[in-house]
Amino acid sequence: MTDLALEIRGVSKRYAAHVAVESLSLAVPKGTVYGLLGPNGAGKTTTIRMILNIIAPDTGAITLLGRPNTDAAVLDRLGYLPEERGLYKKMAVRDVLRFLGELKGVPRGELDHRIDGWLERMSLRTAEKDWSKQKVEELSRGMQQKVQFIGTLLHDPELVILDEPFSGLDPINAQALKDTVVELRQRGKTVIFSTHLMDNAERLCDAVCIIAKGQKVLDGAVAAVKAENAGRTVALGLEGGMSPAVHAVLGDRALVARADDHNRFVEVELAAGADPQQLLQRVLATGARIERFERVQPSLHQIFLQRVGATGVEEGMSGHG
Amino acid sequence: MGKLWAVIRREYLERVRNKWFIFVTIFGPVFFGAITFLPAAMSVRSMRNARVSDVRVLDATGTGVGERVADRIRAINAPAPGDTSAAARRAPATQVTVETLEMAALAAREEALVADVAAERLTGFLVLDTGTVRTGDARYLGRNASSVGEGNQLEAALRRALISFRLEQIGVDGSIADTVSRFRVDLATERITDKGRAGSGFAGAIFGFILSFTLYMAIILYGQAILRGVLEEKTTRVAEVIVASVKPDVLLAGKVLGVGAVGLTQFFIWIAGGAFFWSQRMSLMSSMGADPAALAAAQSGAASFTFPTITPFTMVALVLFFVLGYTFYASLFAAVGAMVGSQEEANQAVQPVMMLLVSGIIFVQPVMLNPTSGLARTMSLLPFSAPIIMPLRMTAAPVPALEVLGSLGGLVLACLAAIWLSARIYRVGLLMYGKRPSLRELGRWIRQS
Repeated sequence: MTDLALEIRGVSKRYAAHVAVESLSLAVPKGTVYGLLGPNGAGKTTTIRMILNIIAPDTGAITLLGRPNTDAAVLDRLGYLPEERGLYKKMAVRDVLRFLGELKGVPRGELDHRIDGWLERMSLRTAEKDWSKQKVEELSRGMQQKVQFIGTLLHDPELVILDEPFSGLDPINAQALKDTVVELRQRGKTVIFSTHLMDNAERLCDAVCIIAKGQKVLDGAVAAVKAENAGRTVALGLEGGMSPAVHAVLGDRALVARADDHNRFVEVELAAGADPQQLLQRVLATGARIERFERVQPSLHQIFLQRVGATGVEEGMSGHG
Repeated sequence: MGKLWAVIRREYLERVRNKWFIFVTIFGPVFFGAITFLPAAMSVRSMRNARVSDVRVLDATGTGVGERVADRIRAINAPAPGDTSAAARRAPATQVTVETLEMAALAAREEALVADVAAERLTGFLVLDTGTVRTGDARYLGRNASSVGEGNQLEAALRRALISFRLEQIGVDGSIADTVSRFRVDLATERITDKGRAGSGFAGAIFGFILSFTLYMAIILYGQAILRGVLEEKTTRVAEVIVASVKPDVLLAGKVLGVGAVGLTQFFIWIAGGAFFWSQRMSLMSSMGADPAALAAAQSGAASFTFPTITPFTMVALVLFFVLGYTFYASLFAAVGAMVGSQEEANQAVQPVMMLLVSGIIFVQPVMLNPTSGLARTMSLLPFSAPIIMPLRMTAAPVPALEVLGSLGGLVLACLAAIWLSARIYRVGLLMYGKRPSLRELGRWIRQS
């Protein structure tokens, strides 16, 4: 029990018109980076809001760090960065951070010390310029994002929940965020983040859960998920690009379930029961010169497309981020 | 508890440090003073300065009353002996002329004078006919016929002239008749309650009116401040971070209390400032070059203005009405803020709350004029108007303790209901973006949370 940072058991949430989340169960071990993946509208934000007890589930129970999430004290050990970000515009940066820290129960005597440390680290307080006395609205968008990020981590939470953290970040802040996530993990903290950008998830996450239409599609360690879905994907590289004849071969649904042309190579998912050797022979028979023919582990993106299907794509899925 | 303090402290400090707060605190009383007292002061001034000049008296009475009236007009308008003020010096010399004529010629002469007035050769004229001496009826025709001040002066002159004329007719000595005709009365009213004399009735009503109006203004000012605060948290999306740390109910309570504390601070500054200036009024006025004699007169005038006596029970009740009234409306304003997505929407959605509030204030005058009427009793028992009407009633006339307690009890229940309702709307509404909810959706929000 206590080695889980988060456990969700059979949680459902219905709104008048639709089901946002349906009997969702998942477990996040302490000290991992966990990705909650899914297209827009899959129920990620609803799930996160239920984890934080901002909205109550219709059924099911949620345990955070071994305590029910209705226990107000456990929320102080959480850091949350919502998808829709914003701060009090007219307040001075330091005052906003003090307020956010106080709400998480950081002792007032300790606040300024911590705030200074973070401001220096995020280069909002340097020898030349101290932004902490500035009003939030006077800061650039990138700097406001940094302030918000400090607010999330100021109380040194054990569990950090980030909703779509990379959306709207400039490259420098995205890098800073990624570095911080890695560092949190090294310090034994747990990070849960939602994203619809599979590339980010693949690079950062130890484990993932893919949800679509409010239901869990799959979950587990990234390595295990990939291994389970391996063996049916081939990377095919051709000299001089794809000829119409090769195109015809890849269009044979008895052999190939899906082919995704990445320009420099084609990621081919074999049809059920098809043999890679057969594919190799058919491609050679067209007279094409093969540069690369390799059985590969599928990307999370591929797995996602495979398991969620085209409907997920239509609902706003975007794998290329 | 620590989190509630954090919310209250933020609300309080951010508002008190705001430039607008400082501006309103300093200039608010000046502004309110200006809009309440300037018009009154100006009309009093124009009454006092009203001088009937260039008036023709058409005397068709055949008794010489016209000359008497003219004398009285001149006497009333003459500057008081020793009055060397600028206003007295600036005033034009009064020119009153009397034309004595027969009743038969009156109509034609009147026509001619009307033409003169129309052509601005004359300001106006007073017509005295044979009926005037008998019934006291007379007519004034002129460009300034709508001026209350000048009308009053003509009337006073006419009354004095007629009184002394008739007294002399029945054989009273001329100088005595003149003295009698100048006699004036001045009635001071004082309220008596169960506890005995309770100061001037007028002062009590004024005090109650100020109290009601202050609460009304406070609700409008601070209620709107709460609404804007909630709306800001919603539109900047900071609300989601906050409610991940504190319960929305705590946030709501902190807002209402924090803004309430801002209001109390402002009132405290105003009251303390007012008390200071009142205690220093003599030295302040003389430093501004006021005449010592006039000051002494003002001093004795002020001393005769007795402050209404307030029992401890009334005092406690007044404070409770103020606090509960504020709480009731503040939670409703917060709920409106959570329902809407922009200031424009807020302006519309706030209408029902404003109507509740205004329904109390529009009855202030009738209640002040008749604090024991059925209307006054009803409006002082209904929870939404009680905070405004009951203090007014209590300071204007004695109210049975049972009624006060009943009204307070109803208000407490209404407050609890408003807080319960608002907290629920707030909890759901704070994270709802997009379309403003319909009444049915609002009902679902309330059930949902």
